[in-house]
Amino acid sequence: MSEIKPIESAPTEDSAEETDWAAAKAFFDSLKTEKPRPPKPRYAVTIAVSSRTLFNMVEERKIYEEEGLEKYVAHQVEHESEPLKPGAAFPFVKALMTVNTRLRALYPDSEELFDIVLMTNNHAQVGVRLINSINHYDLTIERFCMTGGKSPIGYLKAYMTNLYLSKDSEKVTEAIEEGIAAATMFMPDTETQLSDTQLRVAFDGDAVLFSDESEIIVKKHGLDTFFQHEKQFENKPLAQGPLKCFLEALGKLQRKFYAKNERMNCPIRTFLVTARSAASSGARVLKTLRSWGLEIDEALFLAGAPKGPLLQKIRPHIFFDDQMFHIEGAKELGTISAHVPYGIGQKYNRGKLIEQPEKKE
Amino acid sequence: MARKLLMLMHEMNERLQQESAKELLQFDVVLITTDSQQQQQSSSIISSTKHHGLEISRFCFANEEDFVESLQTNNVQLFLTSDKSEASQATQKGVLSALLDHQEASPPSDQLRIMFCEDAIIQPDTGPTPANREAIQGFAAQLGEIRRRFSLADSPLCFILVTAHGSKDSCASSLLTLRSSGISVDEAYCLAGAPRDPIMPLLQPHFTIRISFSDLEE
Repeated sequence: MSEIKPIESAPTEDSAEETDWAAAKAFFDSLKTEKPRPPKPRYAVTIAVSSRTLFNMVEERKIYEEEGLEKYVAHQVEHESEPLKPGAAFPFVKALMTVNTRLRALYPDSEELFDIVLMTNNHAQVGVRLINSINHYDLTIERFCMTGGKSPIGYLKAYMTNLYLSKDSEKVTEAIEEGIAAATMFMPDTETQLSDTQLRVAFDGDAVLFSDESEIIVKKHGLDTFFQHEKQFENKPLAQGPLKCFLEALGKLQRKFYAKNERMNCPIRTFLVTARSAASSGARVLKTLRSWGLEIDEALFLAGAPKGPLLQKIRPHIFFDDQMFHIEGAKELGTISAHVPYGIGQKYNRGKLIEQPEKKE
Repeated sequence: MARKLLMLMHEMNERLQQESAKELLQFDVVLITTDSQQQQQSSSIISSTKHHGLEISRFCFANEEDFVESLQTNNVQLFLTSDKSEASQATQKGVLSALLDHQEASPPSDQLRIMFCEDAIIQPDTGPTPANREAIQGFAAQLGEIRRRFSLADSPLCFILVTAHGSKDSCASSLLTLRSSGISVDEAYCLAGAPRDPIMPLLQPHFTIRISFSDLEE
Protein backbone atom coordinates (compact mmCIF):
# COMPACT_ATOMS: atom_id res chain seq x y z
CA MET A 1 0.00 0.00 0.00
CA SER A 2 1.24 3.52 -0.69
CA GLU A 3 3.58 4.63 2.01
CA ILE A 4 3.29 7.87 3.93
CA LYS A 5 6.03 10.30 2.96
CA PRO A 6 8.90 11.08 5.35
CA ILE A 7 8.95 14.26 7.39
CA GLU A 8 12.71 14.48 7.68
CA SER A 9 14.57 15.29 4.49
CA ALA A 10 16.37 12.31 2.99
CA PRO A 11 20.04 13.29 2.78
CA THR A 12 20.78 10.89 -0.05
CA GLU A 13 18.44 12.61 -2.54
CA ASP A 14 20.43 14.14 -5.36
CA SER A 15 21.05 17.83 -5.89
CA ALA A 16 19.17 17.74 -9.21
CA GLU A 17 15.94 17.62 -7.23
CA GLU A 18 17.08 20.55 -5.13
CA THR A 19 18.10 22.55 -8.21
CA ASP A 20 14.71 22.02 -9.84
CA TRP A 21 13.01 22.97 -6.61
CA ALA A 22 15.09 26.11 -6.11
CA ALA A 23 14.50 27.21 -9.70
CA ALA A 24 10.73 26.85 -9.36
CA LYS A 25 10.79 28.68 -6.04
CA ALA A 26 12.71 31.54 -7.64
CA PHE A 27 10.26 31.65 -10.55
CA PHE A 28 7.20 31.84 -8.31
CA ASP A 29 8.81 34.36 -6.00
CA SER A 30 9.47 36.60 -8.99
CA LEU A 31 5.85 36.58 -10.09
CA LYS A 32 4.05 39.76 -9.31
CA THR A 33 0.87 38.02 -8.16
CA GLU A 34 0.14 36.85 -4.63
CA LYS A 35 -0.21 33.32 -5.99
CA PRO A 36 1.09 30.70 -3.54
CA ARG A 37 3.70 28.44 -5.03
CA PRO A 38 3.15 24.67 -5.12
CA PRO A 39 4.66 22.65 -2.24
CA LYS A 40 7.61 20.31 -2.50
CA PRO A 41 6.13 16.97 -3.59
CA ARG A 42 8.21 14.97 -1.14
CA TYR A 43 6.44 16.54 1.85
CA ALA A 44 3.05 17.31 0.37
CA VAL A 45 -0.13 15.27 0.36
CA THR A 46 -0.57 14.90 -3.39
CA ILE A 47 -4.10 14.57 -4.75
CA ALA A 48 -4.36 13.77 -8.47
CA VAL A 49 -7.69 14.58 -10.12
CA SER A 50 -8.76 13.75 -13.64
CA SER A 51 -10.28 16.40 -15.90
CA ARG A 52 -13.72 14.76 -15.83
CA THR A 53 -13.87 14.71 -12.05
CA LEU A 54 -12.70 18.29 -11.69
CA PHE A 55 -15.05 19.59 -14.37
CA ASN A 56 -18.36 18.47 -15.77
CA MET A 57 -17.47 17.26 -19.24
CA VAL A 58 -20.52 15.09 -19.88
CA GLU A 59 -21.57 16.93 -23.05
CA GLU A 60 -18.05 17.01 -24.40
CA ARG A 61 -17.68 13.32 -23.66
CA LYS A 62 -20.74 12.64 -25.80
CA ILE A 63 -19.07 14.38 -28.72
CA TYR A 64 -16.01 12.17 -28.24
CA GLU A 65 -18.08 9.00 -28.13
CA GLU A 66 -20.38 9.87 -31.00
CA GLU A 67 -18.13 11.82 -33.35
CA GLY A 68 -14.58 10.68 -32.55
CA LEU A 69 -11.36 12.15 -31.20
CA GLU A 70 -10.63 14.74 -33.90
CA LYS A 71 -14.09 16.37 -33.64
CA TYR A 72 -13.88 16.30 -29.84
CA VAL A 73 -10.50 18.06 -29.75
CA ALA A 74 -11.64 20.58 -32.37
CA HIS A 75 -14.75 21.32 -30.31
CA GLN A 76 -12.70 21.87 -27.15
CA VAL A 77 -10.27 24.16 -28.95
CA GLU A 78 -13.12 26.15 -30.47
CA HIS A 79 -14.64 26.69 -27.03
CA GLU A 80 -11.41 27.04 -25.12
CA SER A 81 -12.20 30.45 -23.67
CA GLU A 82 -15.46 29.17 -22.22
CA PRO A 83 -14.92 27.80 -18.71
CA LEU A 84 -16.22 24.31 -18.00
CA LYS A 85 -18.79 23.68 -15.27
CA PRO A 86 -17.64 22.22 -11.93
CA GLY A 87 -17.47 18.43 -11.60
CA ALA A 88 -17.81 15.93 -8.74
CA ALA A 89 -14.36 16.59 -7.29
CA PHE A 90 -14.69 20.38 -7.46
CA PRO A 91 -16.04 20.94 -3.92
CA PHE A 92 -13.40 18.57 -2.56
CA VAL A 93 -10.65 20.54 -4.29
CA LYS A 94 -12.00 23.86 -2.95
CA ALA A 95 -12.06 22.37 0.55
CA LEU A 96 -8.42 21.25 0.16
CA MET A 97 -7.52 24.81 -0.79
CA THR A 98 -9.25 26.11 2.36
CA VAL A 99 -7.15 23.80 4.51
CA ASN A 100 -4.00 24.96 2.72
CA THR A 101 -4.82 28.59 3.48
CA ARG A 102 -5.19 27.78 7.17
CA LEU A 103 -1.96 25.73 7.15
CA ARG A 104 0.00 28.49 5.45
CA ALA A 105 -1.22 30.99 8.02
CA LEU A 106 -0.04 28.81 10.91
CA TYR A 107 3.11 27.37 9.30
CA PRO A 108 4.34 29.84 6.66
CA ASP A 109 7.52 27.91 5.84
CA SER A 110 6.16 24.39 5.80
CA GLU A 111 5.86 22.25 2.65
CA GLU A 112 3.37 19.94 4.34
CA LEU A 113 0.34 21.01 2.37
CA PHE A 114 -2.11 19.56 -0.10
CA ASP A 115 -0.74 19.53 -3.63
CA ILE A 116 -3.43 19.20 -6.30
CA VAL A 117 -2.29 17.81 -9.65
CA LEU A 118 -4.40 17.55 -12.80
CA MET A 119 -3.80 14.07 -14.22
CA THR A 120 -5.58 13.60 -17.52
CA ASN A 121 -5.07 11.55 -20.64
CA ASN A 122 -6.62 14.32 -22.67
CA HIS A 123 -4.72 15.74 -25.61
CA ALA A 124 -2.61 18.78 -24.73
CA GLN A 125 -4.65 21.04 -27.03
CA VAL A 126 -7.71 20.33 -24.86
CA GLY A 127 -5.48 21.34 -21.98
CA VAL A 128 -5.76 25.01 -22.88
CA ARG A 129 -9.47 24.96 -22.07
CA LEU A 130 -8.74 23.07 -18.84
CA ILE A 131 -6.14 25.64 -17.78
CA ASN A 132 -8.48 28.51 -18.64
CA SER A 133 -11.21 26.88 -16.56
CA ILE A 134 -8.82 26.39 -13.63
CA ASN A 135 -7.98 30.09 -13.80
CA HIS A 136 -11.62 31.08 -14.07
CA TYR A 137 -12.36 29.48 -10.71
CA ASP A 138 -9.04 30.58 -9.22
CA LEU A 139 -8.05 27.04 -8.28
CA THR A 140 -4.51 26.52 -7.01
CA ILE A 141 -3.48 23.77 -9.38
CA GLU A 142 -0.02 24.33 -10.81
CA ARG A 143 1.07 20.86 -11.81
CA PHE A 144 -0.44 18.79 -14.55
CA CYS A 145 0.14 15.82 -16.84
CA MET A 146 -1.72 15.74 -20.14
CA THR A 147 -0.72 12.42 -21.52
CA GLY A 148 -2.42 12.61 -24.92
CA GLY A 149 -3.90 9.12 -24.58
CA LYS A 150 -1.27 7.27 -22.58
CA SER A 151 -2.06 5.67 -19.22
CA PRO A 152 -1.44 8.04 -16.28
CA ILE A 153 -0.43 5.27 -13.86
CA GLY A 154 3.33 5.73 -14.27
CA TYR A 155 2.97 9.46 -13.70
CA LEU A 156 0.92 8.90 -10.55
CA LYS A 157 3.85 7.11 -9.05
CA ALA A 158 6.34 9.66 -10.31
CA TYR A 159 4.39 12.45 -8.60
CA MET A 160 4.22 10.46 -5.34
CA THR A 161 0.44 10.56 -5.43
CA ASN A 162 -1.44 9.99 -2.18
CA LEU A 163 -4.92 9.87 -3.74
CA TYR A 164 -6.14 9.56 -7.33
CA LEU A 165 -9.69 10.46 -8.36
CA SER A 166 -11.06 9.59 -11.79
CA LYS A 167 -14.27 8.78 -13.62
CA ASP A 168 -12.63 5.78 -15.27
CA SER A 169 -12.95 2.70 -13.09
CA GLU A 170 -10.33 0.79 -15.07
CA LYS A 171 -7.68 3.38 -14.34
CA VAL A 172 -8.72 3.48 -10.70
CA THR A 173 -8.49 -0.30 -10.40
CA GLU A 174 -5.06 -0.23 -11.99
CA ALA A 175 -3.93 2.45 -9.53
CA ILE A 176 -5.15 0.44 -6.54
CA GLU A 177 -3.34 -2.61 -7.84
CA GLU A 178 -0.19 -0.49 -7.95
CA GLY A 179 -0.69 0.47 -4.31
CA ILE A 180 -2.04 3.98 -4.87
CA ALA A 181 -5.22 5.04 -3.01
CA ALA A 182 -7.80 5.70 -5.69
CA ALA A 183 -11.55 5.96 -6.23
CA THR A 184 -14.07 6.44 -9.02
CA MET A 185 -16.12 9.59 -8.50
CA PHE A 186 -19.86 9.99 -8.93
CA MET A 187 -21.83 13.20 -9.21
CA PRO A 188 -24.75 13.26 -6.73
CA ASP A 189 -28.30 13.41 -8.06
CA THR A 190 -29.11 16.52 -6.06
CA GLU A 191 -26.94 19.37 -4.88
CA THR A 192 -26.12 19.72 -1.20
CA GLN A 193 -24.87 22.74 0.68
CA LEU A 194 -21.36 21.91 1.90
CA SER A 195 -19.08 23.55 4.44
CA ASP A 196 -16.67 26.11 3.04
CA THR A 197 -14.55 26.27 6.19
CA GLN A 198 -13.98 22.59 6.92
CA LEU A 199 -12.90 19.62 4.77
CA ARG A 200 -15.18 16.70 5.68
CA VAL A 201 -14.17 13.20 4.52
CA ALA A 202 -16.23 10.05 5.16
CA PHE A 203 -14.89 6.51 4.87
CA ASP A 204 -16.50 3.11 4.85
CA GLY A 205 -14.57 0.63 7.01
CA ASP A 206 -14.18 -2.80 5.47
CA ALA A 207 -12.38 -2.96 2.13
CA VAL A 208 -11.71 0.79 2.26
CA LEU A 209 -9.77 1.59 5.43
CA PHE A 210 -9.38 -2.06 6.32
CA SER A 211 -8.81 -5.10 4.15
CA ASP A 212 -11.75 -7.16 2.92
CA GLU A 213 -10.95 -10.12 5.17
CA SER A 214 -14.08 -9.70 7.25
CA GLU A 215 -16.29 -9.05 4.27
CA ILE A 216 -15.18 -12.33 2.81
CA ILE A 217 -16.49 -14.06 5.94
CA VAL A 218 -19.87 -12.32 5.65
CA LYS A 219 -20.23 -13.20 1.98
CA LYS A 220 -19.12 -16.80 2.34
CA HIS A 221 -20.42 -17.76 5.77
CA GLY A 222 -23.08 -15.24 6.73
CA LEU A 223 -23.56 -12.63 9.42
CA ASP A 224 -23.63 -14.87 12.50
CA THR A 225 -20.25 -16.38 11.67
CA PHE A 226 -19.01 -12.86 11.02
CA PHE A 227 -20.08 -11.63 14.48
CA GLN A 228 -18.50 -14.62 16.19
CA HIS A 229 -15.31 -14.15 14.25
CA GLU A 230 -15.03 -10.46 15.04
CA LYS A 231 -15.61 -11.00 18.76
CA GLN A 232 -13.06 -13.75 18.81
CA PHE A 233 -10.43 -11.65 17.05
CA GLU A 234 -11.37 -8.36 18.67
CA ASN A 235 -7.81 -7.68 19.71
CA LYS A 236 -6.18 -8.68 16.46
CA PRO A 237 -5.84 -5.63 14.19
CA LEU A 238 -7.38 -5.91 10.74
CA ALA A 239 -5.04 -5.65 7.78
CA GLN A 240 -4.96 -2.26 6.08
CA GLY A 241 -7.08 -1.31 3.10
CA PRO A 242 -6.39 0.96 0.10
CA LEU A 243 -7.47 4.23 1.76
CA LYS A 244 -5.69 3.73 5.08
CA CYS A 245 -2.67 5.77 4.03
CA PHE A 246 -4.86 8.65 2.93
CA LEU A 247 -6.54 8.74 6.34
CA GLU A 248 -3.07 8.71 7.83
CA ALA A 249 -2.04 11.69 5.69
CA LEU A 250 -5.14 13.61 6.84
CA GLY A 251 -4.33 12.75 10.44
CA LYS A 252 -0.82 14.12 10.06
CA LEU A 253 -2.19 17.46 8.89
CA GLN A 254 -4.83 17.47 11.63
CA ARG A 255 -2.13 17.13 14.27
CA LYS A 256 -0.50 20.29 12.94
CA PHE A 257 -3.64 22.18 13.92
CA TYR A 258 -3.82 20.49 17.31
CA ALA A 259 -0.22 21.52 17.96
CA LYS A 260 -1.31 25.14 17.58
CA ASN A 261 -4.31 24.75 19.88
CA GLU A 262 -6.77 24.65 16.99
CA ARG A 263 -8.44 21.34 17.80
CA MET A 264 -11.82 22.99 18.31
CA ASN A 265 -11.46 24.84 15.07
CA CYS A 266 -9.75 22.19 12.95
CA PRO A 267 -10.57 22.53 9.24
CA ILE A 268 -10.34 18.76 8.66
CA ARG A 269 -12.92 16.33 10.04
CA THR A 270 -13.00 12.58 9.34
CA PHE A 271 -15.92 10.15 9.62
CA LEU A 272 -16.20 6.38 9.67
CA VAL A 273 -19.56 5.24 8.29
CA THR A 274 -19.80 1.47 8.58
CA ALA A 275 -22.53 -1.12 8.32
CA ARG A 276 -20.99 -2.89 11.30
CA SER A 277 -22.82 -2.65 14.59
CA ALA A 278 -21.10 -1.17 17.62
CA ALA A 279 -21.96 -3.98 19.98
CA SER A 280 -20.97 -7.04 18.02
CA SER A 281 -18.24 -6.00 15.62
CA GLY A 282 -17.40 -2.38 16.32
CA ALA A 283 -14.69 -2.89 18.92
CA ARG A 284 -12.28 -4.55 16.54
CA VAL A 285 -12.44 -1.60 14.18
CA LEU A 286 -11.74 0.98 16.86
CA LYS A 287 -8.93 -1.11 18.31
CA THR A 288 -7.39 -1.52 14.87
CA LEU A 289 -7.35 2.23 14.34
CA ARG A 290 -5.81 2.74 17.74
CA SER A 291 -3.12 0.15 17.00
CA TRP A 292 -2.25 2.09 13.84
CA GLY A 293 -1.98 5.31 15.82
CA LEU A 294 -4.80 6.83 13.80
CA GLU A 295 -7.72 8.86 15.02
CA ILE A 296 -11.06 9.24 13.36
CA ASP A 297 -13.23 12.11 14.57
CA GLU A 298 -16.64 10.41 14.38
CA ALA A 299 -17.39 6.69 14.08
CA LEU A 300 -20.93 5.82 13.05
CA PHE A 301 -22.07 2.20 13.31
CA LEU A 302 -25.21 1.61 11.30
CA ALA A 303 -25.79 -2.10 12.03
CA GLY A 304 -26.96 -2.55 8.47
CA ALA A 305 -29.17 0.53 8.19
CA PRO A 306 -28.87 2.49 4.93
CA LYS A 307 -26.03 5.00 4.81
CA GLY A 308 -27.75 7.60 2.62
CA PRO A 309 -29.79 9.48 5.26
CA LEU A 310 -26.92 9.64 7.71
CA LEU A 311 -24.54 10.96 5.05
CA GLN A 312 -27.11 13.61 4.21
CA LYS A 313 -26.63 14.92 7.72
CA ILE A 314 -22.84 14.64 7.67
CA ARG A 315 -22.45 16.41 4.29
CA PRO A 316 -18.96 15.21 3.44
CA HIS A 317 -17.00 16.63 0.50
CA ILE A 318 -16.32 13.02 -0.42
CA PHE A 319 -17.51 9.60 0.77
CA PHE A 320 -15.48 6.46 0.02
CA ASP A 321 -17.14 3.04 -0.15
CA ASP A 322 -16.29 -0.25 -1.85
CA GLN A 323 -19.85 -1.34 -2.60
CA MET A 324 -21.82 0.24 -5.46
CA PHE A 325 -25.02 -0.42 -3.52
CA HIS A 326 -23.95 2.11 -0.87
CA ILE A 327 -22.59 4.52 -3.48
CA GLU A 328 -25.92 4.57 -5.28
CA GLY A 329 -27.81 5.08 -2.05
CA ALA A 330 -25.57 7.97 -1.05
CA LYS A 331 -25.71 9.56 -4.49
CA GLU A 332 -29.51 9.54 -4.53
CA LEU A 333 -29.62 11.62 -1.40
CA GLY A 334 -27.06 14.21 -2.53
CA THR A 335 -23.74 12.90 -1.23
CA ILE A 336 -20.62 13.11 -3.43
CA SER A 337 -19.50 9.48 -3.55
CA ALA A 338 -16.35 7.73 -4.61
CA HIS A 339 -16.24 4.02 -5.32
CA VAL A 340 -13.17 2.06 -4.23
CA PRO A 341 -13.00 -1.00 -6.51
CA TYR A 342 -11.25 -3.30 -4.08
CA GLY A 343 -11.90 -6.65 -2.53
CA ILE A 344 -14.61 -9.23 -2.62
CA GLY A 345 -17.40 -6.65 -2.72
CA GLN A 346 -16.71 -6.17 -6.44
CA LYS A 347 -17.95 -9.64 -7.23
CA TYR A 348 -21.33 -9.06 -5.61
CA ASN A 349 -24.31 -6.90 -6.42
CA ARG A 350 -26.74 -6.30 -3.55
CA GLY A 351 -25.63 -9.45 -1.79
CA LYS A 352 -25.81 -11.75 -4.80
CA LEU A 353 -22.78 -13.14 -6.57
CA ILE A 354 -22.46 -11.59 -10.01
CA GLU A 355 -21.96 -14.08 -12.81
CA GLN A 356 -18.84 -12.75 -14.47
CA PRO A 357 -17.67 -13.88 -17.90
CA GLU A 358 -13.97 -14.62 -18.07
CA LYS A 359 -12.13 -11.32 -18.34
CA LYS A 360 -10.52 -11.00 -21.78
CA GLU A 361 -6.88 -9.88 -21.64
CA MET B 1 20.34 5.57 -30.77
CA ALA B 2 20.80 7.71 -33.84
CA ARG B 3 20.28 4.66 -35.97
CA LYS B 4 16.80 4.06 -34.55
CA LEU B 5 16.03 7.70 -35.18
CA LEU B 6 17.00 7.41 -38.82
CA MET B 7 14.90 4.32 -39.25
CA LEU B 8 11.94 6.09 -37.74
CA MET B 9 12.34 9.03 -40.06
CA HIS B 10 12.61 6.70 -43.01
CA GLU B 11 9.39 4.99 -41.99
CA MET B 12 7.71 8.33 -41.63
CA ASN B 13 8.84 9.36 -45.08
CA GLU B 14 7.33 6.18 -46.44
CA ARG B 15 4.05 6.84 -44.71
CA LEU B 16 3.98 10.40 -45.94
CA GLN B 17 4.57 9.08 -49.44
CA GLN B 18 1.68 6.67 -48.98
CA GLU B 19 -0.66 9.43 -47.92
CA SER B 20 0.04 11.43 -51.01
CA ALA B 21 2.18 10.60 -53.99
CA LYS B 22 2.91 14.27 -54.55
CA GLU B 23 4.25 14.69 -51.03
CA LEU B 24 6.98 17.27 -50.98
CA LEU B 25 7.61 17.32 -47.27
CA GLN B 26 10.08 14.71 -46.21
CA PHE B 27 12.74 14.15 -43.63
CA ASP B 28 16.07 14.64 -45.27
CA VAL B 29 19.07 13.40 -43.34
CA VAL B 30 22.59 14.69 -43.66
CA LEU B 31 25.45 12.96 -41.88
CA ILE B 32 28.23 15.29 -40.80
CA THR B 33 31.46 14.47 -39.09
CA THR B 34 34.39 16.57 -37.96
CA ASP B 35 36.48 13.71 -36.67
CA SER B 36 39.53 13.57 -38.90
CA GLN B 37 40.10 9.88 -38.27
CA GLN B 38 36.59 9.16 -39.38
CA GLN B 39 37.12 11.26 -42.47
CA GLN B 40 40.01 9.08 -43.54
CA GLN B 41 37.65 6.17 -43.35
CA SER B 42 34.99 8.03 -45.31
CA SER B 43 34.31 5.25 -47.75
CA SER B 44 33.79 2.77 -44.97
CA ILE B 45 31.34 5.11 -43.23
CA ILE B 46 29.31 5.46 -46.40
CA SER B 47 29.20 1.76 -47.06
CA SER B 48 28.45 1.07 -43.42
CA THR B 49 25.36 3.27 -43.49
CA LYS B 50 24.19 1.56 -46.67
CA HIS B 51 24.80 -1.79 -45.04
CA HIS B 52 22.54 -0.90 -42.11
CA GLY B 53 19.85 0.32 -44.47
CA LEU B 54 20.06 3.91 -43.27
CA GLU B 55 18.72 6.52 -45.67
CA ILE B 56 21.22 9.33 -45.75
CA SER B 57 21.01 11.75 -48.60
CA ARG B 58 24.27 13.61 -48.14
CA PHE B 59 27.61 13.10 -46.43
CA CYS B 60 29.61 16.02 -45.23
CA PHE B 61 33.16 15.99 -43.97
CA ALA B 62 34.18 19.19 -42.28
CA ASN B 63 36.66 20.35 -39.72
CA GLU B 64 35.88 21.70 -36.28
CA GLU B 65 36.23 25.36 -37.17
CA ASP B 66 33.90 25.52 -40.11
CA PHE B 67 31.41 22.68 -39.63
CA VAL B 68 28.71 25.21 -38.81
CA GLU B 69 29.22 26.78 -42.22
CA SER B 70 28.70 23.34 -43.74
CA LEU B 71 25.46 23.07 -41.80
CA GLN B 72 24.39 26.39 -43.17
CA THR B 73 25.32 25.66 -46.78
CA ASN B 74 23.39 22.43 -46.56
CA ASN B 75 20.32 24.30 -45.25
CA VAL B 76 20.23 22.16 -42.15
CA GLN B 77 17.20 23.04 -40.06
CA LEU B 78 17.98 20.83 -37.07
CA PHE B 79 21.40 19.63 -35.98
CA LEU B 80 21.44 16.55 -33.76
CA THR B 81 24.57 15.70 -31.84
CA SER B 82 25.70 14.18 -28.57
CA ASP B 83 28.50 16.73 -28.28
CA LYS B 84 27.52 19.68 -26.10
CA SER B 85 30.08 22.12 -27.42
CA GLU B 86 29.22 21.40 -31.05
CA ALA B 87 25.58 22.02 -30.26
CA SER B 88 26.41 25.29 -28.54
CA GLN B 89 28.54 26.48 -31.44
CA ALA B 90 25.81 25.72 -33.93
CA THR B 91 23.17 27.51 -31.87
CA GLN B 92 25.34 30.58 -31.53
CA LYS B 93 25.51 30.86 -35.31
CA GLY B 94 21.77 30.46 -35.65
CA VAL B 95 21.37 26.74 -36.41
CA LEU B 96 18.79 25.05 -34.20
CA SER B 97 20.44 22.20 -32.27
CA ALA B 98 19.37 19.38 -30.02
CA LEU B 99 21.32 16.95 -27.91
CA LEU B 100 21.02 13.21 -28.30
CA ASP B 101 21.29 11.88 -24.78
CA HIS B 102 22.19 8.41 -23.70
CA GLN B 103 19.12 7.28 -21.81
CA GLU B 104 18.44 4.18 -19.80
CA ALA B 105 14.89 3.86 -21.04
CA SER B 106 15.01 3.35 -24.78
CA PRO B 107 12.36 5.29 -26.63
CA PRO B 108 9.72 3.45 -28.64
CA SER B 109 10.57 2.29 -32.13
CA ASP B 110 7.16 2.94 -33.62
CA GLN B 111 6.82 6.61 -32.80
CA LEU B 112 9.24 9.51 -33.12
CA ARG B 113 8.90 11.54 -29.93
CA ILE B 114 10.22 15.08 -29.99
CA MET B 115 10.33 16.95 -26.71
CA PHE B 116 10.33 20.71 -26.24
CA CYS B 117 11.63 21.54 -22.79
CA GLU B 118 11.50 24.87 -20.99
CA ASP B 119 13.62 25.52 -17.90
CA ALA B 120 13.56 28.70 -15.87
CA ILE B 121 17.28 28.58 -15.13
CA ILE B 122 19.91 28.31 -17.79
CA GLN B 123 22.84 26.24 -16.68
CA PRO B 124 25.89 27.17 -18.77
CA ASP B 125 27.33 23.70 -19.06
CA THR B 126 24.31 21.72 -20.13
CA GLY B 127 24.43 22.41 -23.83
CA PRO B 128 23.14 24.91 -26.35
CA THR B 129 21.27 28.00 -25.21
CA PRO B 130 17.53 27.49 -25.45
CA ALA B 131 15.84 28.55 -28.64
CA ASN B 132 13.43 31.43 -28.67
CA ARG B 133 10.41 31.75 -30.88
CA GLU B 134 12.22 33.13 -33.92
CA ALA B 135 14.84 30.40 -33.84
CA ILE B 136 12.34 27.58 -34.23
CA GLN B 137 10.05 29.41 -36.62
CA GLY B 138 10.84 27.83 -40.00
CA PHE B 139 11.55 24.39 -38.62
CA ALA B 140 8.39 24.39 -36.51
CA ALA B 141 6.13 25.30 -39.39
CA GLN B 142 7.34 22.42 -41.55
CA LEU B 143 7.50 19.93 -38.71
CA GLY B 144 3.97 20.84 -37.68
CA GLU B 145 2.84 20.36 -41.26
CA ILE B 146 4.27 16.83 -41.28
CA ARG B 147 2.44 16.06 -38.03
CA ARG B 148 -0.83 17.22 -39.51
CA ARG B 149 -0.60 14.57 -42.23
CA PHE B 150 -1.22 11.99 -39.52
CA SER B 151 -4.22 11.55 -37.23
CA LEU B 152 -4.37 12.56 -33.57
CA ALA B 153 -4.22 9.01 -32.28
CA ASP B 154 -1.65 6.39 -33.44
CA SER B 155 0.63 8.92 -35.05
CA PRO B 156 4.25 7.99 -35.88
CA LEU B 157 5.22 11.49 -34.74
CA CYS B 158 4.51 12.96 -31.31
CA PHE B 159 5.30 16.35 -29.75
CA ILE B 160 5.80 16.73 -26.03
CA LEU B 161 6.07 19.96 -24.04
CA VAL B 162 7.65 19.95 -20.59
CA THR B 163 8.04 23.02 -18.41
CA ALA B 164 10.28 22.22 -15.49
CA HIS B 165 9.96 25.25 -13.25
CA GLY B 166 7.34 27.68 -14.52
CA SER B 167 3.72 27.99 -13.46
CA LYS B 168 0.82 26.47 -15.36
CA ASP B 169 0.22 29.81 -17.04
CA SER B 170 3.74 29.93 -18.43
CA CYS B 171 3.25 26.36 -19.69
CA ALA B 172 -0.07 27.33 -21.28
CA SER B 173 1.58 30.32 -22.91
CA SER B 174 4.35 28.12 -24.38
CA LEU B 175 1.66 25.74 -25.64
CA LEU B 176 -0.01 28.62 -27.45
CA THR B 177 3.28 30.00 -28.77
CA LEU B 178 4.14 26.59 -30.23
CA ARG B 179 0.66 26.35 -31.65
CA SER B 180 1.00 29.67 -33.44
CA SER B 181 4.40 28.56 -34.76
CA GLY B 182 2.66 25.59 -36.34
CA ILE B 183 3.29 22.89 -33.73
CA SER B 184 0.25 21.33 -32.10
CA VAL B 185 1.65 19.69 -28.98
CA ASP B 186 0.24 16.23 -28.15
CA GLU B 187 1.38 15.80 -24.56
CA ALA B 188 2.09 18.51 -21.99
CA TYR B 189 3.61 18.26 -18.53
CA CYS B 190 3.99 21.12 -16.08
CA LEU B 191 6.31 20.08 -13.28
CA ALA B 192 6.40 23.41 -11.42
CA GLY B 193 9.49 22.37 -9.52
CA ALA B 194 8.63 18.70 -8.99
CA PRO B 195 11.74 16.53 -9.46
CA ARG B 196 12.20 15.64 -13.11
CA ASP B 197 14.13 12.38 -12.67
CA PRO B 198 11.10 10.17 -12.01
CA ILE B 199 9.14 11.72 -14.90
CA MET B 200 11.71 11.90 -17.72
CA PRO B 201 12.15 8.14 -18.23
CA LEU B 202 8.39 7.89 -18.72
CA LEU B 203 8.37 10.49 -21.48
CA GLN B 204 10.90 8.64 -23.66
CA PRO B 205 11.85 11.41 -26.09
CA HIS B 206 14.26 10.65 -28.92
CA PHE B 207 15.70 14.12 -28.54
CA THR B 208 14.97 17.37 -26.76
CA ILE B 209 14.83 20.89 -28.15
CA ARG B 210 15.32 23.38 -25.36
CA ILE B 211 13.17 26.45 -25.65
CA SER B 212 12.77 29.70 -23.84
CA PHE B 213 9.73 31.71 -24.82
CA SER B 214 8.94 33.73 -21.75
CA ASP B 215 10.85 36.73 -20.48
CA LEU B 216 12.02 35.75 -17.05
CA GLU B 217 13.36 39.15 -16.05
CA GLU B 218 10.56 41.47 -14.98
